[in-house]
Amino acid sequence: MLDAFIQGLLLVVQWKAFAFMLLGIGVGFWVGLLPGLGGATTLALMLPFVYNMQPVEAFAFLLGMHSVVATTGDITSVLFGVPGEATTAAIILDGHAMAKKGEAGRALGAALGSSLVGALIGAAALALAIPIVRPLVLTFGSPELFMLAIVGLAFIASLSAEGARGMARGFLAGGLGLFLAMIGQDPQAGIARFTLDSMYLWQGLDIVPVLVGLFAIPEIVELVVRGTSIAGNVAPGSIRHGALEGVKDVFRNFWLTLRCGLIGTFIGITPGLGGSVAQWMAYGHATQSARNSEERKRFGEGDVRGVIGPGAACNSKEGGALIPTIAFGVPGSTSMAILLGGFFLLGLVPGPDMLTTHLTVTFSMVWTIVLANVITVLVCFLLLNRLTSLTAVPGHLLVPVILVLVFIGSYTSNSSYADILVTLIFGAVGYFMVIAKWPRAPLVLGLVLGKIAENYLYISVARYDAAWLKRPVVVALLIVAVAVVLYPAFQAWRGRKKASAHA
Amino acid sequence: MKLTRFFAAALAAIPMAAAAQNFAGKTVTIVVGYKPGGGYDATARLLARHLPKHIPGKPTVIVQNMPGGNSIVAANHVYNVAKPDGLTIATFNRNLPIAQLTKVEGVKFDMTKFAWIGSAANEATILAIRSDLPYKTFADLRKAKEPIVIGSTGPGANTYDFPLLLKDLVGVNFKIVSGYSSSADIMLAVERKEADGRAGSLTSLRTFIDRGLVHPVIRARAMQPGLENLPVDEDLAPNARAKAIMALRSAPEQVARPYVMPPGTPADIVKTMRTAFAKAIDDPALKAEEKKAKMDLDFTDGDKAVAILRDVLNQPKDIVDEFSKYVKFGE
Repeated sequence: MLDAFIQGLLLVVQWKAFAFMLLGIGVGFWVGLLPGLGGATTLALMLPFVYNMQPVEAFAFLLGMHSVVATTGDITSVLFGVPGEATTAAIILDGHAMAKKGEAGRALGAALGSSLVGALIGAAALALAIPIVRPLVLTFGSPELFMLAIVGLAFIASLSAEGARGMARGFLAGGLGLFLAMIGQDPQAGIARFTLDSMYLWQGLDIVPVLVGLFAIPEIVELVVRGTSIAGNVAPGSIRHGALEGVKDVFRNFWLTLRCGLIGTFIGITPGLGGSVAQWMAYGHATQSARNSEERKRFGEGDVRGVIGPGAACNSKEGGALIPTIAFGVPGSTSMAILLGGFFLLGLVPGPDMLTTHLTVTFSMVWTIVLANVITVLVCFLLLNRLTSLTAVPGHLLVPVILVLVFIGSYTSNSSYADILVTLIFGAVGYFMVIAKWPRAPLVLGLVLGKIAENYLYISVARYDAAWLKRPVVVALLIVAVAVVLYPAFQAWRGRKKASAHA
Repeated sequence: MKLTRFFAAALAAIPMAAAAQNFAGKTVTIVVGYKPGGGYDATARLLARHLPKHIPGKPTVIVQNMPGGNSIVAANHVYNVAKPDGLTIATFNRNLPIAQLTKVEGVKFDMTKFAWIGSAANEATILAIRSDLPYKTFADLRKAKEPIVIGSTGPGANTYDFPLLLKDLVGVNFKIVSGYSSSADIMLAVERKEADGRAGSLTSLRTFIDRGLVHPVIRARAMQPGLENLPVDEDLAPNARAKAIMALRSAPEQVARPYVMPPGTPADIVKTMRTAFAKAIDDPALKAEEKKAKMDLDFTDGDKAVAILRDVLNQPKDIVDEFSKYVKFGE
C-alpha cells in the first residue's frame, strides 16, 4: 500500500500529468472567481478534452481544476460579498464583514490558509479511508441520512442570534427555507407544488440565484448608499497587508480548523447530502467556539473563526466526496457524477477495483488534490495584496462591474430571465432581513436541507415503517441534534457564570 | 446602381445557399433541454464533435443548454421561436410525447409537426434485482411472498413507472419506495440492502450488472444487444388494455435521443441532416469514443420516429385516461 502511495505521487509529478494539472488549475482559478459559473458545469464542459489523455493526466486535469474552484470562490465571497460558488456563501458572513473593516488581507489569509488545511484533511481522509470505506459508507442508510439532515437543521440554533427572540427568528427563517425547498415537482406523487404555473419552478428553486440575491444584492445596495469603497473608513495604506496574520489565525484556531475540516469530509463522504450543506454546519460549529456572549455577538461582524470554519469544510469535502465515487461508482456530488463520466472515458470502472488493482490511480488523485491546493494557495498569496486593494476602490467604480458579474452569474444557472427575477426577489428579501436583523443563514440551510430531509424521511418510513427509529446510529444522531440545539443556551449560561465569578 | 443590385442579389442568395445545403462558414446550434452533465447533453456533445465533417460545407456545430420544465422550455422555443433555416437542432426529453398526450400545462408544440431528423439511440429499460437474493428469473419474482423493495426516483421516471405497471397490472409483489435523488443514489441503497432492486436504462445499470451486484430479470419493448433472453413486460400483460398501457409507456424509449428541427424546415435540409446523423453515428471515430464513454448510439430515421410517436398520440381516449392514472409526465 505504501508502495502505491509513492507510485501515485510519481505519476502526478511526471511532466505531462503535471502540465495538465497546471492547466486545470488555471481554468479552475477563473471559474472559482466568477460568481455563478460553477465547478460542476465546467467539469462537464471540459470532459470532452480528456478522450485522448492517460488516466493520470486526465484526473490531474479534472481534479486539479475542481479542487481549486472552492479556494478561489472564497476570494470573491470575501472581497465583494458575492458568492463565488454556491459552496462558498457561508464565508461571506464574517469574511466580507472583515473586508468592510479593512481586514480583507487577514480574511483572505485565513480563508486560503484554512482552505489548504481543509484540502489536506480531505486528502488524508481519502487516503486513510481506503481500507474501511465500504463499511463506512454502508452504515449510512436513508434513516441515518434523514437524521443527519436534522442535525444540519439543528445548527440553525447556532446560526441565530442569542436569546428567545433571536432563536424564534432563526427558526422562522429556517422554516421559510424549508417551505421554499418544497417548490417543484414532488418525488412521491409527481404533483407540482407552488410552481405558480411556471415551468421555471418545476425542478425547484435553483440555489445559485437565491444565494447571489440573498447575499450579494444587500451588499451592493449598502455600498451604493454609503457611497464609499468597500473598506470605507479605513486608510488605503493599511489595507494592503495582514495576510500573514490570517494564516496565523488558522494555526491559533487549529483545532477548530481540524474539526471543521472533518465535518466537511464527513458530509462529502455521505452521498446525497450535497456540498453546500458542509459550509453552514461548519460555520454553525465555529460560532459554538465563542466563549461568552460578547464573543458570540461578534460573529457576523467579522470574527476570523467564521472564515476559518467554512473555508476548511468547503475544501475538505471534495476529498470526502471522492470516496463513494471511487469505491462504489456512486457519486457524492454533482461534480463527482460528472467525474464518474470521466472514469468511463478512461476505461476505468469505479468500484472495488479502484481499491485494489487501480490503487495507484486512486492515490494519484489524492496527490493531485494536495498539489493543486498547495499551488493555488501559493499563487493566491502572490496576488493577495493586489486583490485586497480592490476593497479601497470607490464604490461607484466597483458597483457596475460587480452588478454585471452578479447577473451574468445567476443567469448561467438556467439561462433564463427568471434567474434574474429570482435574484432580484431574493435580493429584496435579503436586504430587508439585514435591516430587520433576521439571520439569512438559517433560510439557506432550510432550503438546501429541505428536500433531503423530506425524501429520506419518506423513504425511511416507507421502507422500515417505525422500526428505523430504533437504529443505533439514528438514536445517536438524534442526541447530537438535541445537543446542538441546546448548545447556545449552555454557552450563554457558561458565559454568565464566568461573568459572575469575575464580579 | 448595378452594384446595389449585385449586393441585393448576393444578399438574396444567402438563404438560397442554405437551401442548396452549403453550410460553409455557418454555425449549427444543438439546443439541449437539460443542464450540462446528463445523458442527453453528453450525446449532443459527442455528436457536435463528429457531425461537422458529414455536413456539406463543414459548419461549426455547438451545443446550447436550455433547461427547464423537463425540456418543455426548449421544445417550446424550437417549435415557436427558432428559425426553420437548418441552423437550429433540438434534442430533449424522450417523454415529451407523454406530456402532449396527457395535456400537461405549458406544452406549446405538436410532436409530430417538428421536422424530425430522428433518434440517436434506443434506451432499453430493464428491472435488475440484487444477485444475493433467491430470485433468479422474473418467474421467481412473481412467486415472492415477501414484498420486494424497489428503489425509485419518482413518478415520471422509468425507475418508477416501469415497476409500477408490473406491480399494478401483472401483480408482482413490489414495494416501490421513491424519493432517491438519482439513480446512483438508488444503487447505493441496493448496495446497503435497503432496496432489493431498481429499474432503469441498461446504460445506467450496465457497470453494476458487470460487477455482479445485480442482474436483469425483465425488460420493456425497446431493445439493446445482450437482452435477447429477457422476458418483455407486454408479453406478460393479462389483457389487451394492460398491454396497450405498457406499450404506451415504453414507446418513447425507442426514440430515446430525439433530434428535431423547427417545423417548416425545408425538406432537403432535413434530408441532408438525416444523412449526416446516420453517417456520423456510423463514423469509426465516433464509435471509438462512444465505446469509451459506455454509450450506445443507434440511429433511427425521422420517418420511423414520427410513426412511433403518431401511434402514441393516436390512442383512444379510454386508454389515455387509464394510462394517465398510472403514468405522469416527468424527467
